[in-house]
Amino acid sequence: MSTEDKLQFRDVRTGFGSGGKRVEVLDGVSFSVAAGEFVSVLGPSGCGKSTLMSMAAGFSRHDSGEVMVDGRPVTGPDHKRGVVFQQYAIFPWMSVAKNIAFGLSLKANRHSKEETAEIVARYVHLMGLNGFEDALPKTLSGGMRQRVAIARAYATDPEVLLMDEPFAALDAQTREFMQELLHDANQQERRTAMFITHSVEEAIFLSHRIVVLSRRPTSVHEVIDVNVPTPRTAESRLSDEFIQLRRHLEEVMRSMSTFAPAGRLS
Amino acid sequence: MAHARRLLPLAGFALFLAFWYAVALSGVFAPGQLPRPDQVVTTLVDRFANDGLWRDLQLSVLRVLIGVVVGCAIAVPVGFALAWYRSLRAMFDPLVSFFRALPPIALIPLVIVYLGIGEGARLSILIYAAFFSSVVVIYEGAAATDEIYVRAARSMGASQVEVFRRVVLPLTVPQVLVGVRVALGVCWATLVAAELIAARRGLGATIQNAANFFQIDMIYGGVILIGLSALVMDRLLAVLMRRLVRWQERVER
Repeated sequence: MSTEDKLQFRDVRTGFGSGGKRVEVLDGVSFSVAAGEFVSVLGPSGCGKSTLMSMAAGFSRHDSGEVMVDGRPVTGPDHKRGVVFQQYAIFPWMSVAKNIAFGLSLKANRHSKEETAEIVARYVHLMGLNGFEDALPKTLSGGMRQRVAIARAYATDPEVLLMDEPFAALDAQTREFMQELLHDANQQERRTAMFITHSVEEAIFLSHRIVVLSRRPTSVHEVIDVNVPTPRTAESRLSDEFIQLRRHLEEVMRSMSTFAPAGRLS
Repeated sequence: MAHARRLLPLAGFALFLAFWYAVALSGVFAPGQLPRPDQVVTTLVDRFANDGLWRDLQLSVLRVLIGVVVGCAIAVPVGFALAWYRSLRAMFDPLVSFFRALPPIALIPLVIVYLGIGEGARLSILIYAAFFSSVVVIYEGAAATDEIYVRAARSMGASQVEVFRRVVLPLTVPQVLVGVRVALGVCWATLVAAELIAARRGLGATIQNAANFFQIDMIYGGVILIGLSALVMDRLLAVLMRRLVRWQERVER
């Protein structure tokens, strides 16, 4: 275990029910995310990917093992770990700018008015939200709302960004665009990131490393280094490394699918 | 089309008036049993001009407002407490349903026994009605707060107090306003009962006095004034709600 490990899961176990009805979900999951690294967690549905994120954020507990940030166990939510949810969790009664500024107005992480304005402007720009500062969420598309959510998570300057399938509800085109936007943002402002997804392509495009989880009871099936050169663009998706990796991962995912494994159209 | 739709409520009233005239003029009822709308209006104008009907209207509006404001001011914290603490809700939910189902008019004799026949007695009936009609709406709204917003705020470092003040409260504003609106309707419906308690002035009292003297056109006049006041106040509140919760997403119908 290197000292650079920012986020660590060590032999994490959890499940629900008890006695004969006990269902193990996480059955000894261990991996870590190094400082500045972007790691995707890929796995079949129901394997407990989101549970891992929830533990790292401090929303849920585990039965045994350790979830640690900087070597210290996570005990609850904290502004040092920013979260982007699959559902659009931006506050509907606040404008885009107010949403992004929210974390900076809290006692735990209060910034002056001037600092806040500067930070909001920076992330409005980074996420391409210029001109929408005063818009209410209800007037925005799904993709725009997630951009606000990402800007809001960045704005509190978290040490770790946790993202739980943030693009899963978007259409294919918007999704690719959002992946590129997030990748570019992360090139400019490097954050340690854990990204939960069930999309092979998304995992490859965004990550330095991919942690592949097995079916339930879940453990780490494989950890893959992504050797597609950065910065990545739409073109990268067509490179040999990308396609090779994609073929391998699609194969792995198919083998773990609960549904008819052979000859299934995807 | 949109313009036409705005006129439809008026068309509803026009149709009602036409029906009223038709019945009044048809002779189904003996003369004096059912006044024509214009006779009712004449009576109202006369009473406004010479009999201080304004004062009755004012008093009733004031009573309803006090009932709604005080009743809801109690219902909001109680609603939040019930939403927040599961065990409290389990304990009091059936009680709330029990008291909510009681018609306020049935409680009048008891109110007279304990509170006498003063203004306090009348107001307590209205406060009772406002509280029990709105508390359920408010606590159901507060209990349905979407957990995702709470989590988002917590992940940015919000304390419990900050979560409550800056997330739960604004999220529940629409539902609280719905509660206020329900309370307003119920208070107007309870007004006549409240003014049964030895009130000399007020729209409910006016109707009862008119009934004692068999002034049927004034009975109609009082009923119409109560209905109109309730309608106007409800519309004002609806406008306020639209302003306050502009952020809410609505399914266009």
